[in-house]
Amino acid sequence: MGNLFSSMFDRLWGVNKELRILILGLDGAGKTTILYRLQIGEVVTTKPTIGFNVETLSYKNLKLNVWDLGGQTSIRPYWRCYYADTSAVIFVVDSTDKDRMATASKELHLMLQEEELQDAALLVFANKQDQVGALSASEVSKELNLVELKDRSWSIVASSAIKGEGITEGLDWLIDVIKEEQL
Amino acid sequence: MSTHTYKKFESGDSGDLPDKMTIYQDCMTQFNESPVNAKRCRILISRLLRLLANGEVFPETEATALFFSISKLFQHPNDSLRQAVYLSIKELSGISEDVLMATSSIMKDVQNGSDLVKSNAIRSLSVVLDESTAFSAERMLKSAVVSKNPTISSASLVTSYHLLPISENTVKRFSNETQEAVVDLKPFPQQDIIGDYYPNSTFITQYHALGLLYQLKKNDKMSLLKLVRQFADSNNLKNQLAKVQLIKIVNELVQRDPQLFPQFQGLLYHWLSNKYESVQIEVTKVITSFAATNQRLVSPELFAVAVQTLQSLLTVPRVTTKFAALRILNRLSMVSPDKILICNPELESLINDSNRNVSTYAITILLKTGTEKNISSLISTITKFIHEVSDDFKIIIIDAVRTLSLNFPQEWKAILNFLIDVLKNGEGGFKFKNNIVEALIDIVSFVPQSKELALENLCDFIEDCEFNEILVRILHLLGKEGPFTSNPSLYVRHIYNRLVLENSIIRSAAVVSLSKFALSKKDTSLRKSIVSLLKRIANDPDDEVRDRAVIALQFIENSNERISEEFIQSKYTYDFQSLESVLSVYMNNNSDSFETPFDVSNVRKITEDEAKALELKRKQDQLHNSRLEAIETCTADGSINNERADAATYAGPSSAEDQSELLASKYADELLSIEEFKPFGKLINSSNVVSLTEPEAEFVVNGVKHILKEHVIFQFNITNTLNDVALDNVAVTCTPEDPDNAILEELFSIPIDRLLPSTEGAVYVAFKKSEEIVMEGFLNNLTFTTKELNPETNEPFEGDEGFEDEYEIDSIFLNAGDYIKNSFVGDFTTVFDELPNEEVAVYNIQENITVQEVIDKIIVNTSCLPLENTQFAQSESNSHILKLFGKSALTGVKIALIVRIVKSSKGVALKAQGKSENATLCADLINSII
Repeated sequence: MGNLFSSMFDRLWGVNKELRILILGLDGAGKTTILYRLQIGEVVTTKPTIGFNVETLSYKNLKLNVWDLGGQTSIRPYWRCYYADTSAVIFVVDSTDKDRMATASKELHLMLQEEELQDAALLVFANKQDQVGALSASEVSKELNLVELKDRSWSIVASSAIKGEGITEGLDWLIDVIKEEQL
Repeated sequence: MSTHTYKKFESGDSGDLPDKMTIYQDCMTQFNESPVNAKRCRILISRLLRLLANGEVFPETEATALFFSISKLFQHPNDSLRQAVYLSIKELSGISEDVLMATSSIMKDVQNGSDLVKSNAIRSLSVVLDESTAFSAERMLKSAVVSKNPTISSASLVTSYHLLPISENTVKRFSNETQEAVVDLKPFPQQDIIGDYYPNSTFITQYHALGLLYQLKKNDKMSLLKLVRQFADSNNLKNQLAKVQLIKIVNELVQRDPQLFPQFQGLLYHWLSNKYESVQIEVTKVITSFAATNQRLVSPELFAVAVQTLQSLLTVPRVTTKFAALRILNRLSMVSPDKILICNPELESLINDSNRNVSTYAITILLKTGTEKNISSLISTITKFIHEVSDDFKIIIIDAVRTLSLNFPQEWKAILNFLIDVLKNGEGGFKFKNNIVEALIDIVSFVPQSKELALENLCDFIEDCEFNEILVRILHLLGKEGPFTSNPSLYVRHIYNRLVLENSIIRSAAVVSLSKFALSKKDTSLRKSIVSLLKRIANDPDDEVRDRAVIALQFIENSNERISEEFIQSKYTYDFQSLESVLSVYMNNNSDSFETPFDVSNVRKITEDEAKALELKRKQDQLHNSRLEAIETCTADGSINNERADAATYAGPSSAEDQSELLASKYADELLSIEEFKPFGKLINSSNVVSLTEPEAEFVVNGVKHILKEHVIFQFNITNTLNDVALDNVAVTCTPEDPDNAILEELFSIPIDRLLPSTEGAVYVAFKKSEEIVMEGFLNNLTFTTKELNPETNEPFEGDEGFEDEYEIDSIFLNAGDYIKNSFVGDFTTVFDELPNEEVAVYNIQENITVQEVIDKIIVNTSCLPLENTQFAQSESNSHILKLFGKSALTGVKIALIVRIVKSSKGVALKAQGKSENATLCADLINSII
């Protein structure tokens, strides 16, 4: 009975609604590390993701369904199978990997053209800030041509998944935007 | 979904499958919903699985969409839903290409999931991993193998087994862990037990571990030996399937190296008294199948105990065990029926078993083990039994009786009476009756004494027979055999009845049959009455009947007796295969729009005796092949296939007789098409294919000897097995073994200009010989020029002169047997006594070979047909009498042989006694039987 009431309340306040969030990006950008940083607050040793990891976490009274899809070239074509009903996309970029900025930019813009992602908010993590020679957030933003994006809420945050910097800030922004626009 | 449709889907007994598209749509909506309803999704997956299990397939796009929506269920932590997800991933892996997307999620469960889903996750790994990703699962699989939980350990072992073909190296790295898992007894973990129920572990992990271990070591004989010794001695192997597996490994070892058998004998003996029936069955199977090929190595005591074990298994209440034991006994009954005689009481009591599979099997075994003494009692038993079983079983029994009639021609009376009884009184469909009639026809044609009784009863039968096909066959048989019986007019009445009472198909068959009686020598008065009968029929309303009657009248009233005989009672038929090929050549070469009539003289004719010989041989071979199969069934695949693939062993490759016949007519056609051989005239006889090199040689050569009237042609078929070398000017030099007394005069040889890699070509060497039988041996040398090929053009490099080479191949012998064609005779003893010109020869063979091997060799060497079922040696006895009959291919002179074989500790002694119309032929053949 108690469960029934609480679920009714949840539904009233829209709390029980699960939000789907995708974490995308090239291979080795740090997507899986960010996912588990969010879920258990620790750094886990990861292997290249073949396929995807999915975790459910509660954040500020919201239930988040976070999908971390593998970034290897062979797996990228499958991203689109998971676009449906997505509230937000977290795009992770390895800020030290200057050679592949162009590739990352191409993949990002290709993805954002998809019909199913028209309403999704975009958060870009300029990751690996703890390493020497990492580009700053604004440099990454320039490389990725983010200014070109129209009709979309987006933000770029400098982060370091290893040190845990920037992750919550980014997520806070994202939740605010989603609450404002979609709930 | 409404309750109505819900009910419809769920009623398990109805057998209605849920609608494919409804399920698909439901899956797509339910699985993509957020949040996921675990229970509903699980039910939906189970429905999907039911569809797939019933063979429904989804197109690839839909299957892929299904897979991706199912993969979304990984977000829900419910264990039972996860199990269902794994099952569906495994099922979909066959149709959807993208299952690798689940890899990470599965691996996460393998590492961190609950014990409940762990094993399912591990099992689904085998379908998602490929060569590049397998190594990443290595550590997980290894630690799962050593897990204390039996289900997890089993899952990991089975998955590794399936990964072997994908990534053998990965799996090889945990062979030590696997070895431990074999002896590790893993009970279910205590904490999983809820309530009082505590499942006993069956230790199935042992079986899975042993299976994997065998796959890892199967190519290493020594470690397999070690493995068997290690696990057989310890008492740690508790699982019965694991024991069965171990026995199978023993079987594999002894089949590969028969000499190992003695050292396993004690072990096998021990296993025979194992408490598990499956183990007993498997051991008896190993012992008996091994004994079939290597009798000398199996101690008689062991064999006897094995048979006793089978005997006791026949009395257990479980049908499957009984059936398995019967199967082994059935195989034994074909190889050595005398050894399982002690099981007869049990078999007889099984005749009344309520399971018809068991009872029918028991009967067929009894029929095969039947000896001359108990056949009649056996037949009276089945007479009571046969009316109670269904048609299918009846047919099996009739077939067994039919082979019996070929094996025991002297028991024809009892068999005939039985067949006639079931024919007249048995209820059954066309197939059943047809089988009986076929069995009767067999008896009539191979057991001449039975002819009149059988024909009389068949006459009675056709008075009341509803099947046109059977009627026609019987009418044909009456026409063929009737005129030569003591009282032909008896049959005429029956045939005429058909003419009055039946439909046009039967009437036309009856006309042909009737006309044959007109030429009966026994009753010359018949001719007149038949002519008047035929004249009456010539007014029949049916065209075909009328035509046949008129033609028959023409032939009968023709004054030339030879013509009428040839057309009405034709003594030969054409060889259908060669007739077909000649006809198709004629149709294709339609150069003058069929102005030239078809020349039938090129087609090989088969006289009645030859046709019978062929048929009997085919039937014997059928028997023989089933025997071989029985022997080979248990022999591991391919392990003994390294025999020389030629016809020199009579038992030889079990390829059907038809094939060698086809080969013979193929060679004959090839020969005829060569211009140089045209003047030599017709091909009289071709020998079997003899192989002249080891099959693994660089150039595989086999030879065929063709006999023509005044010439002999050796055909050497050469296969170039090299990859990039062509052979030019391939020729064979034949040197007489004894040059001083050479009789054959070499005329010319036809070399092969160029033999490309992996192709076969034929070199012919022609000799002139007198019309007599000439025997000679030749030493052969293959000469050729090798030229390396340019891989691009497949032509030799320019300017490559190649270099000449020689290659010695085995000698080829032209012996008396090459002049003999096998032939059939119904009453061997009488014919043998009547033939003049007796020759006797005695041989001593110092080698240690079995009687059966000697028999096979003699049959091949003499090309004669073994009669009265003497081609099989009784397994126990050391002596045997072989009866052979043949005809000279040149003159058609009959020859009959009786070979007495005695085996002693020193070797094998033969006494061959031959009789023939031609003394030289007889002497020649007798002197070269082995």
